[in-house]
Amino acid sequence: MKELEKTKRISIAATLFILAVIIGLLTYKRPKNIYAINTKDTLEKITGDNYIITLNELNNPDFVLIDIRNQYEFEQGHLENAINIYAAEILSVDHIKVFDELKESNKTAVLYGNNPQEVNAPFLILYQLGFDNIKLLAIENSYLQNKLISKNTVIEKSEADVTAFINESVNKATTAETLKKVVIAPPKKVITVQKKKKAPAEGGC
Amino acid sequence: MVKKKIAKVLAFRYKILAAILILLAGGLVLLPKYQKHEGIKPEELLSNTISPERYMTTDRLAHILINQDPSFILIDVRDEKSFASYTLPNAINIPLQKLFDEGSVSYLNQNQYDVVLFSNDNFYADQAWILCNRLGYKHLRVLKGGINEWFTTIINPVKPAENMSASDFELYTTRKAASMFFGVVYPEQVKAETPKVVKVAPKKVITIEKKKKAPAEGGC
Repeated sequence: MKELEKTKRISIAATLFILAVIIGLLTYKRPKNIYAINTKDTLEKITGDNYIITLNELNNPDFVLIDIRNQYEFEQGHLENAINIYAAEILSVDHIKVFDELKESNKTAVLYGNNPQEVNAPFLILYQLGFDNIKLLAIENSYLQNKLISKNTVIEKSEADVTAFINESVNKATTAETLKKVVIAPPKKVITVQKKKKAPAEGGC
Repeated sequence: MVKKKIAKVLAFRYKILAAILILLAGGLVLLPKYQKHEGIKPEELLSNTISPERYMTTDRLAHILINQDPSFILIDVRDEKSFASYTLPNAINIPLQKLFDEGSVSYLNQNQYDVVLFSNDNFYADQAWILCNRLGYKHLRVLKGGINEWFTTIINPVKPAENMSASDFELYTTRKAASMFFGVVYPEQVKAETPKVVKVAPKKVITIEKKKKAPAEGGC
């Protein structure tokens, strides 16, 4: 009798376990966005691929411009035929759909913002999600009398040679120093004329 | 009759249970597809990258370098050539291509130090930061503006115009002092030094007058 109860308990436990696993599987939600490539491959691709384009190359019917700035800035002025997808909402279902459609129709999404740095994060995230049909437009936007002005920029351009600047400053300072030295009159030597002491009138008689 | 049938089915119950378990175990084979999902969720990564929390200003970095704070490591993600021509004091060179090499991960994935990534701009440094953040590496910062910003603010600060506020002038003097720390020499700095040398030169000669001996006046 006791043994029978034992086996009953085991079977109940087993059924419960199976139930738990099934419920777990059913409620398991597939994540909405999944990375398609891991970080190492991403790194290889971004250091190898050419994903940066300039304004002059925009004349391509396969390019679709995407403005990642917010709606306010977009309305103030944007490039012709651009779609506005704000960077913070780039992963929402609707927007991902846009990118999916572009990928299916073999078009290239060209992301741009006020400067390339701003586009960097959304670009890289989409890239890791497997959208390899995206490019980054290297421009800098500014406004002149409420009109958008876009200029090409070079990413990661070294603007100044710091070592040269420091060396030059040292050189300048040392030449200035030598010049100064010429100007400064050497301290005058004070020549004290010693007066001859009068011979003491020594005791006479 | 019914009892017998039930008993027959019940005799198989262990086999049935075992079969279901094996089936479920087979289902686990399908799961590793999600393990490719390396690192944090894309949504989380996006919100992390959009927040400007990771940026460190050049002024703050100059302060850290001058005080020789030992809890910071600087990492230059530019190529070797730029690294050789100029870099920040005590920086380590990890070119972006070699970010995940064996030697570099020990610098990036640790809890002891704060790591400041920098490049010419903050473009490459940001890319390095985003990839590391996906892997969950903590304590990483990015120098805002990179070496270019470092040059225009610390190494070669712009003198404020006369109508600008006092705080601008204060900032200028601290930056100028910092630039001197990093090796820039100003002409007036030399000027300030020279008078000191000159001052030493004219020694006052205090001549102690000896008392004249009272002339031995004629005695007898």
